[in-house]
Amino acid sequence: MSEWRDQLLQMLPGSSLLVWAVVLGGLGLWFRVALLDRPTALFSRILGLLSLVLLGFWLPRFGGWAEQVTFWLLASVAVLTAGTAISTRSPVYMAIWFALSLLATSGLFLFQNAQFIGFATITVYAGAIVVTFLFVLMLAQPEGDAPYDRVSWAWFSAPLALLAGGVLLAAMLLTFSPDGPGRPDASLGPVVPPSALATDQHHVARLGGELYSRHLIAVEVVGTVLLVAMVGAVAIVIQGKSAYVPGRQDGSRIRGRRDAPSASSGGAP
Amino acid sequence: MLLALIKIAILLGGLMTAAAYFVLLERRMAAWIQDRIGPNRVGIPLTNIRIFGLGQPLADGLKFILKEEFTPSHVDRALFVAAPIVILVAALSLFAVIPVGSFLPSKVAGHPLSDGPIEMTVAPGVDAALIYVFALSSIAVYGVILGGWASNNKYSFLGGLRSSAQLVAYEVPMGLGILGAVLAAGSLNLSEIIAAQADRGWFALLQPLGFVVFSVAAFAEAARLPFDLPECEQELVGGYHTEYSGMKLLLFLVAEFLHMITAAFLMVILFLGGWHFPGLTGSSMALDGWGHPGELWLWGQALVRAGVLLGKVFCIIVFFMLVRWTWPRFRYDQLMSLAWKVMLPLGLINFVVSACLEQLQGTLGYAWLRWVAIALAWIVLFGAWIGVSLLGSVTENRPRRPAQPLESDLRA
Repeated sequence: MSEWRDQLLQMLPGSSLLVWAVVLGGLGLWFRVALLDRPTALFSRILGLLSLVLLGFWLPRFGGWAEQVTFWLLASVAVLTAGTAISTRSPVYMAIWFALSLLATSGLFLFQNAQFIGFATITVYAGAIVVTFLFVLMLAQPEGDAPYDRVSWAWFSAPLALLAGGVLLAAMLLTFSPDGPGRPDASLGPVVPPSALATDQHHVARLGGELYSRHLIAVEVVGTVLLVAMVGAVAIVIQGKSAYVPGRQDGSRIRGRRDAPSASSGGAP
Repeated sequence: MLLALIKIAILLGGLMTAAAYFVLLERRMAAWIQDRIGPNRVGIPLTNIRIFGLGQPLADGLKFILKEEFTPSHVDRALFVAAPIVILVAALSLFAVIPVGSFLPSKVAGHPLSDGPIEMTVAPGVDAALIYVFALSSIAVYGVILGGWASNNKYSFLGGLRSSAQLVAYEVPMGLGILGAVLAAGSLNLSEIIAAQADRGWFALLQPLGFVVFSVAAFAEAARLPFDLPECEQELVGGYHTEYSGMKLLLFLVAEFLHMITAAFLMVILFLGGWHFPGLTGSSMALDGWGHPGELWLWGQALVRAGVLLGKVFCIIVFFMLVRWTWPRFRYDQLMSLAWKVMLPLGLINFVVSACLEQLQGTLGYAWLRWVAIALAWIVLFGAWIGVSLLGSVTENRPRRPAQPLESDLRA
């Protein structure tokens, strides 16, 4: 295995190997998503697997085989379920594949000993956001696919999105690869591995201390943005709500405020 | 490794047996409240000995296993099979971080069992344990939603929809109720939260409003009456598990009971002091054998602590069952306004008040301030009670708008 890897890395240096992997994966996804033909399904799968294998060769190795197997399992599940999520037709299945991908991602976080962020990923994304997706999807389409679902996949949008995603992915991978520009600057002192912090008994308390001291401004800004979004959502709901006006005997409903200046906003309980 | 496997085996066996016997207890209590006798016939198999119907869970289990497991042709097969598995796996693996006692001594009759005291948790030392509990209880929602959707049946589907909206809504007050306890204990680790209560007093006493908010949310999360709208029999046949039978139905029902047991454990651990009982268990986290030397005393103390915790859990579960037969079910809009208009503000009030009191005690540090804080917390509780009953946004039972003639009446 490692001999093959060395030979392959000699033939294709790291960056071009990565580019090939991303291009092949993109092609596979394009065949799967944009063409939506049965005959190309096998072809797209082969391309996707090839790209995963290339990516696997490119990734650095861990010390023991147990870590290696765990990482590969979690990483490939995360990537494969994400790919299935965007290529599947049924919206409900899409949400479930997405949730599985999130589970694998949080497994990767736990693999790095990042307990808090791993569990928080499940709670926030899989537990709240995807459940809300499912709720809306079920309300919208109780009987499955609708024919107009295909319209949004116009011929140019899928390749464009794939291209953008591929460029983004390649840029990130290249930046944070061991010899890329995103590696930690050694001149700033020794790098503390995150696992050293994570095995600490008071992991969450230290995380909170870090967030509320070094990143205080960022936390406050994010909180403010969320608050504004929440107020906006409530405002939108009140705008569109049909309010019953006690004065009207016909019991007719009034939409919005514009045509009902006398109506109090919100329902009259 | 071996120790963890033993713990897992004990936990799984105990939980499944407990779930089976709680079903029997629930049936006997239902019978008691409705002035019947209840299942009292099944005893030891192949004999005539009836021990108060204690063999009933065995018969129930066999019935579920041997019944025909019918899969209707109109279901989404993959999700139909996956849903009960997801809900049971989530409900069981949630117990990995829940302590069932404090420690066991490291030696038995002079032979060392392990290097240090054995924590009575399957996965000890998980610092973000409470978030793990939250994460897995939110995964359990998938079982309900997917079961309802995959059944391709309008009653199941309505049950799934109701459940998802209810669980998402009540996760918010649940989190707010927990925040106060976490703030006071300074940790998300359940063992440390218990230790903090043994040291400073039970959080139900220090933050009564938080306890009330959390308990209501826990009832809703466990989908017990008066919050059992996902499966209310009078409206939805069986709710999300209408189409299920045999083993799959058993998995759903066991998972429901496990949710109730989880809720009881969390109420006890977070607010009712866990293994701590004044004057009975000692209040330091490590075992001290009540000051006596010798491992027998240590074992005694460990067992008393586990017994106290499990006894409290049992009392809470009996309370769950009493509530089931004494409270009528909420209407759906009442359920939602209880979550968003009552419990959410109350949770926020509790959080702010307990944060202020903690800070005040921390900075001033007078001993008598503790009693002032407790008194203030109880005043806040009664103030909130009076405020909610004056506003009457939930208990009001009138229709939200005057009844209008039906369309069919207008046409006629």
